[in-house]
Amino acid sequence: MEEIVTRRNKVVYRDGDQIIKVFNETKPASDIFNEALNLARINEAGIASPQVLYVNQRDNSWVLGTSYIPGVTLAELMEQHPDRLDEYLTMFVDLQISIHQYTAPLLQRQKDKYTRMIRSLTDLLDATTRYELEMRLEGMPNAREVCHGDFNPTNVIVADDGKLYTCDWAHATQGPGAADAAMTYLLFALNDQDVAEKYLDLYCKESDTPKQIVRNWLSIVAASELARHRKSREDFLLHWIDITDYQ
Amino acid sequence: MVKLKKLPDTVENITTLDELKTAMGEMRQAQEVFATFDQKQVDAIFYEAAMAANKKRIPLARMAVEETGMGIIEDKVIKNHYASEYVYNAYKNTKTCGVIEEDKSYGYKVIAEPMGIVAAVIPTTNPTSTAIFKCLICLKTRNAILLSPHPRAKKCTIEAARIVREAAEKAGAPKGLIRWIEEPTLELSNRLMQDADITLATGGPGMVRAAYSSGKPALGVGPGNVPAIIDSSADIKLAVNSIILSKTFDNGMICASEQEVIALDDVYDAIKEEFLYRGCYFLNKEETERLRSVILINGSLNAKIVGQKAATIAEMAGIEVPPATKLLIGEVENVEPTEAFAHEKLSPILGMYHASTFSDAVRKAQRLVEDGGLGHTSSLYIDPSKQDKVQELVQAIKTCRVLINTPSSQGGIGDLYNFKMAPSLTLGCGTWGGNSVSENVGVKHLMNKKVVANRQENMLWFRTPEKIYFKQGCMPVALDELGHVMGKKRAFIVTDQYLYKNGFTKPVEQKLTEMGIAHASFWDVEPDPTLQCAMEGVKQVRAFEPDVIIAMGGGSAMDAAKVMWVLYEYPDVKFEDMAMDFLDIRKRIYSYPDLGKKAYFVCIPTTSGTGSEVTPFAVITDERTGVKWPLADYELMPNMAIIDVDNMLNQPKGLTAASGLDVLTHCIEAYVSVMASDFSDPSALQAMKLVFEYLPRAYDFGGDDLVARDRMANASCLAGIAFSNAFLGINHSMAHKLGAYHHIPHGIANAVLLPRIIRYNAAEAPTKMGAFSQYAYPHAKARYVEAARYCGVAGKDDDEVFENFIKKIEELIAHCDCAGTIKEHGVSEEDFLATLDEMVEQAFNDQCTSANPRYPLMSEMKELYLDAFYGREPSSYED
Repeated sequence: MEEIVTRRNKVVYRDGDQIIKVFNETKPASDIFNEALNLARINEAGIASPQVLYVNQRDNSWVLGTSYIPGVTLAELMEQHPDRLDEYLTMFVDLQISIHQYTAPLLQRQKDKYTRMIRSLTDLLDATTRYELEMRLEGMPNAREVCHGDFNPTNVIVADDGKLYTCDWAHATQGPGAADAAMTYLLFALNDQDVAEKYLDLYCKESDTPKQIVRNWLSIVAASELARHRKSREDFLLHWIDITDYQ
Repeated sequence: MVKLKKLPDTVENITTLDELKTAMGEMRQAQEVFATFDQKQVDAIFYEAAMAANKKRIPLARMAVEETGMGIIEDKVIKNHYASEYVYNAYKNTKTCGVIEEDKSYGYKVIAEPMGIVAAVIPTTNPTSTAIFKCLICLKTRNAILLSPHPRAKKCTIEAARIVREAAEKAGAPKGLIRWIEEPTLELSNRLMQDADITLATGGPGMVRAAYSSGKPALGVGPGNVPAIIDSSADIKLAVNSIILSKTFDNGMICASEQEVIALDDVYDAIKEEFLYRGCYFLNKEETERLRSVILINGSLNAKIVGQKAATIAEMAGIEVPPATKLLIGEVENVEPTEAFAHEKLSPILGMYHASTFSDAVRKAQRLVEDGGLGHTSSLYIDPSKQDKVQELVQAIKTCRVLINTPSSQGGIGDLYNFKMAPSLTLGCGTWGGNSVSENVGVKHLMNKKVVANRQENMLWFRTPEKIYFKQGCMPVALDELGHVMGKKRAFIVTDQYLYKNGFTKPVEQKLTEMGIAHASFWDVEPDPTLQCAMEGVKQVRAFEPDVIIAMGGGSAMDAAKVMWVLYEYPDVKFEDMAMDFLDIRKRIYSYPDLGKKAYFVCIPTTSGTGSEVTPFAVITDERTGVKWPLADYELMPNMAIIDVDNMLNQPKGLTAASGLDVLTHCIEAYVSVMASDFSDPSALQAMKLVFEYLPRAYDFGGDDLVARDRMANASCLAGIAFSNAFLGINHSMAHKLGAYHHIPHGIANAVLLPRIIRYNAAEAPTKMGAFSQYAYPHAKARYVEAARYCGVAGKDDDEVFENFIKKIEELIAHCDCAGTIKEHGVSEEDFLATLDEMVEQAFNDQCTSANPRYPLMSEMKELYLDAFYGREPSSYED
């Protein structure tokens, strides 16, 4: 069994034609089953993704098994060939827009997920700010598009045959694609504002979406990202949240 | 048994959904009591409440600034003062209880009723003044109000409401009419809006959207982004200082305050100089760029700058400005939303634009309004005499308020710079801003108006020609008036070939010549005149340019002449529009042109039948399409009718019979029409009596019985007067189609149907009765009986009189040798059945149908046709 990557709350291994995610002991069972269930729904919706295989327990830790897709991530390619960034970004945006065309009616509703995350922020945001965020979220449109929720180049696999697969569906919801794009923009912006702008230009052009529509989501996705409690990003995210509605 | 969670019995503070439910129950009870208060009681409460709020304007302003950290105490004092004093003053005499409007002559009354519980969402920018405003207008309208404050301004909002509540209760208001949510949450606000009767939502779009999606009615308002154009003709000092006054007010937090100045090139520098002179700061290029990143975060407004002083905001951007700086002004070019200065800024920051022309300024203003200010407010500084420019902006801009030479913060909320605009802190933005109201919200939006409408009768009129000459030998006298009194110079005679060739028009021409009136004639009118014939005639009319048109003949000549008259006076009229059916001639869509401007119109009938000499009707056929245009309008009424029996001596026997029976049908139908009145009845009755008495003699002796001929001429004219005002019924509707499809002479077609239609209309329980205000219940039978008795029909009771009346009609028809079925009048069964359904539909759709006392079903009309075709025994025709 070959270790691929170690993250904050899990270690990912490859075992032949399987990928095995071994979660920390503190990770609750519902999270693992939720990710497995999300992946199953995505598989059933027909979106190119690793197949869910099993959930079991090993040494007090939960384990999720999926199929292995031979290939490299888009993130690796971007790093190896910075000159081809535009080309990769286009592939990336097209893949995201194509995912938004799918529906999976039993996936969790995006508004429910964001509401939960905003409400969990009692330590970082005062009640007034949480109220304003909730109110803003409440007024956002509803939609039934499949949203990955953490769509970034590390989660896109370019298979050896050139086909694109998307993995890591733990945050998947159904809602407006613009919200999903806002999250991707934010993930880019955390590392590189220029790439983030490039991404937003491309996404809005390809999906024929006004930028304001995506931007309207930024305070909300920033709050949801804040709920992941990564200290280093807090100030950045809090700044994005500190806005007010026009009146 | 399942034990349900028990709601609290009574609630002090609302912090949970259960408490909200209980509190709203209590409020409903209080409001029901309040709903019984009269205007005097309400006004006393309104007065005390406004007074109390006004007294506390300073502490409330201080609280608001301390709690929210936004705005200026002194300005908030003015807002509180305004919300109490101006709102009281505007509505102190407004009736909001009981009858608020009454028009006795129209039998119309409007009664004001409260709506119930008003959910009031209060914003952070104007918390205390908005709370005072909403509480006061709810008290004035006998509503209860439940406030949902913004968490950032909850203490001062609640305090304002508490002050109003205490004063109201002291003045006699039921306890608990005004309440609030102690700890606002999304769930509580949403439930409140769902359970209240209406929501008054002021604040950001999220809140307003939530209000509109609550499923209950909402008065939500939209955001503003107010551009101010300064025209070359403007008073620059007034313009600049008004903008400074408005934009610095409460540190720019009023939604109606200016966001961008658009200055015409030729005054740009002068404007800039005045801004500088008055203590505003112009940012240089680099400072402008730095401020941009402070104004917007990802396209949204930075919460930290809202309601802050200019210097404080400058500091955030690392710009050093004098501490007393009034406004930060960025000189920018881009009007798209990517430009931070093109947005609403809720702070003392202005964007300033160049405009090369006034149209350029308008275009820029239009675009800026689209950046989040649709429907709200726009502002223009200009010399008021430049109305063309004012109009240009007014027409182009999608804002519900266009303020001229007015500081927009103060101007938009009303009653400060314009005293017709309702004072309000809730400004509707119309559908452009996604709102249900486009004006300033006030008490009228918080009342249910109950209209009590009495049944009223239609106002009727009675129309006849200006003059009707009658009696043998009256024609020369009448014509004399044309020359010697009216001074007419040129007469045009319209007639048919028979009359012209046989010298009937000679006496007219002689008299005209005698008086020195030039004259010409058109004598090509044929029976069932065509539009083409009228067109031909009107060519001659136009060439001749008469000041009087004289129609001489039967219905055809008079109808053709009426059409020529219209075409002579108005060559471009559309017959399709003129012939459009109407339900009520006084409410018709098409409005007839004013006739008589060029020519006076005189009719001289030579037959006794149509009554066209006194009617506002004409029928013309388009030869090319075969379409018959029935024209009806009082404009078509002749100016003068000359009923002289000397012109009628030579009517053939058959014509005498058929047209005489047409006259009888006219007066019988006019008498039972739903529009029959005291003014039309006498003509109808007298005409009927004359027909029964003189038609047999006129038929038997023709021109030899001068008296009979004369009385029939009068009968025809009287019947015309009756049905010009009371209209006809389905007897004519159906006869028209028998004539059109099977060429049965009109009078005969009427006679064939008449006895059956009388029975049909006389039904006491018809399937449907005619709908017309004065027609109270089906009573055609009583009317027939009344008419019968007038004509000398007797009987032991109404039923017998009714039967004898029909018998008398049938005898008259037989006397005139017109009896028989449709079949016996020469229509083949095959042809009849083939056209039956079409005839039925067209008869139903005939203009005459609507005045019939019984509203016919097409199936019933079909049976009536079949009965008259086969001569079936009449049935009772009861439903």
